[in-house]
Amino acid sequence: MAIFDEFPSLGRTELRDLKKGIDFAFKDFSRDNGEAIESFFDPLMFFMVWFEKLLINAPWPLMILIFAVLAWLGARSIPIVIGTIVSFLAIGWFGMWEDTMATVAIISVATFLCIGLGIPLGILMSRSNRLQAGVTPILDIMQTIPSFVYLIPVVMLLGIGKVPGLIAVCIYALPPIVRLTNLGIRLVDKEVLEAAESFGSSYRQKLFDVQIPLALPNIFAGVNQTIMMALAMVVIASMIGVKGLGVPVLRAVSNQYLALGLMNGLAIVALAVIFDRVSQAYGKRLQKHRQGGHGV
Amino acid sequence: MNKFVKGLAAAGVAAAMSQGAIAACGEVTIAEMNWASAEFMANVDKIILEAGYGCSVELIPGATLTTFASMDTKGVPDVAPELWTQAVEVPLLAAIASGSLHSVNPKPIAGAGEGWVVPDYTMANHPELKTVLDIIERPDLFPYNEDPSKGAFVGCPAGWGCQQVNANLFRAFDMEAKGWVLVDPGSAAGLDGAMAKAVDRGDDYFGYYWSPTAMMGKFNMEMVDFGVPFVEMDHWTNCITQANCMEPQQSAWSASEINTIVTDSFINNNDPKAVAYFGKRVFPAAEMGAMLVYMGDNQAGGEDAAIEFLLNYESLWTQWVGVQAANLIKKSLN
Repeated sequence: MAIFDEFPSLGRTELRDLKKGIDFAFKDFSRDNGEAIESFFDPLMFFMVWFEKLLINAPWPLMILIFAVLAWLGARSIPIVIGTIVSFLAIGWFGMWEDTMATVAIISVATFLCIGLGIPLGILMSRSNRLQAGVTPILDIMQTIPSFVYLIPVVMLLGIGKVPGLIAVCIYALPPIVRLTNLGIRLVDKEVLEAAESFGSSYRQKLFDVQIPLALPNIFAGVNQTIMMALAMVVIASMIGVKGLGVPVLRAVSNQYLALGLMNGLAIVALAVIFDRVSQAYGKRLQKHRQGGHGV
Repeated sequence: MNKFVKGLAAAGVAAAMSQGAIAACGEVTIAEMNWASAEFMANVDKIILEAGYGCSVELIPGATLTTFASMDTKGVPDVAPELWTQAVEVPLLAAIASGSLHSVNPKPIAGAGEGWVVPDYTMANHPELKTVLDIIERPDLFPYNEDPSKGAFVGCPAGWGCQQVNANLFRAFDMEAKGWVLVDPGSAAGLDGAMAKAVDRGDDYFGYYWSPTAMMGKFNMEMVDFGVPFVEMDHWTNCITQANCMEPQQSAWSASEINTIVTDSFINNNDPKAVAYFGKRVFPAAEMGAMLVYMGDNQAGGEDAAIEFLLNYESLWTQWVGVQAANLIKKSLN
């Protein structure tokens, strides 16, 4: 039985023509629409360029002060604030200040973009089982597909630089915020909702005054995960021309510069730990407040 | 199953036919570098060594600096078919002097080189741009998308040997003051993507690339004459290729040196005929270019391309191997 010896596959030529067909179709698409799509993203790009320059050109003591204040506002914890200050001082001392600011710039923009897209999408998903069934597989794809598979088309369309880098980061970092927003709202107690309804809450009041506040701890876990995922993509983003800590890491990897790789890798870790502690502490504080309010 | 049995039988026949040759060739590791021409060469070498000389070949993925470091310190892989030696010049010369590595072929690909390229239509539309010296006066033709008032020169991805050279030449030609930005494309995919995107749209593009590559052929890129002579070798190796070059001088790109490098243990422990094969194996530019465009057009990997090459360019590769090996290789292809 010949059919069992070899898998009945498309012939070499058909397969090749199929692949070529897809490639050429994409090339035509990018030739026709590339410029329009690029100019659509131009404002975003100029904002990112401006924001990066702002962070890099601002006096460093001011930046450290801002980070320390943000850490205090988020975590209300002296050890975390001290840790933040010491980390940034160390980063500057080891000559990684500019790269770190470039990384902070793209991570902040990516995080805000992901939150802006992810929370509404998560809310919509929690409203409709059908939408959830449709979106979940897409989120799975976004998290698992090897990044270069979509980076190459993005580069063909938009060239190298900040915007393709941002898209790459967001494709990977968006799913957790969507998933956890959806989950958080779905986990809100049915009885609480019934109570709200019996008091005559409108749909809008139920969503904004009951469900979202009660889901905030979960949503915040999502924000936290999104930041972590975005930081994990820093090196990949540098592979398509995004400035930041990823560039020296790439240089170190291909040249076996142990110290350079380790220092910049640790700077990424330091950023991650600061963002993580601050956002987690903020999430916990939210939770405490809510717990007190509802006695859940 | 059938194919496997047939393969075993074929191997047995081959073994019986050339006992003497096979006894001398054992396990060989060949570096398969992460760009097309090197993938292709590694696979050609693999098929020829396996079918023609009875070696057992394992391909080891690598990149210039990592592979060289491994060969230099560990003696693995045995063979680097296409090593761009300038990036590792100093340690390579030391290793060759000490006898741990050998160059068995100083020019495996004819007409290869690095340099600064523009699309052919840029040259045609602006006939006044004859050399790099002319182009660097016109950053306005190559606007940088993140700051359109500057010109973009796309250099080498971070970590490549050429990154340092580009950065130093960028300084030597005083390009920053002339309004240029040295763009780091981040990776091979970024570099190719940037070039493909620009040329597909008919935009002007100025950047680093090298030949022979499918990219150069496919997008009709032209290597630009630098308009200045090559600075002396001493300054090139001790300054322009180094990170701490204080005053780089203007220079053309050095004529590229590609070598096939093998380890000492490969020479000592293997069939001298297999070693001699590496010395004779020179890919002419035209054939190499044709194979690279074939790989690009058909999305063929190194192995597919090697088989295609061996099937179509018999008169070329049979000159590299003995009659007996040629017959064995032909048999294995059928």
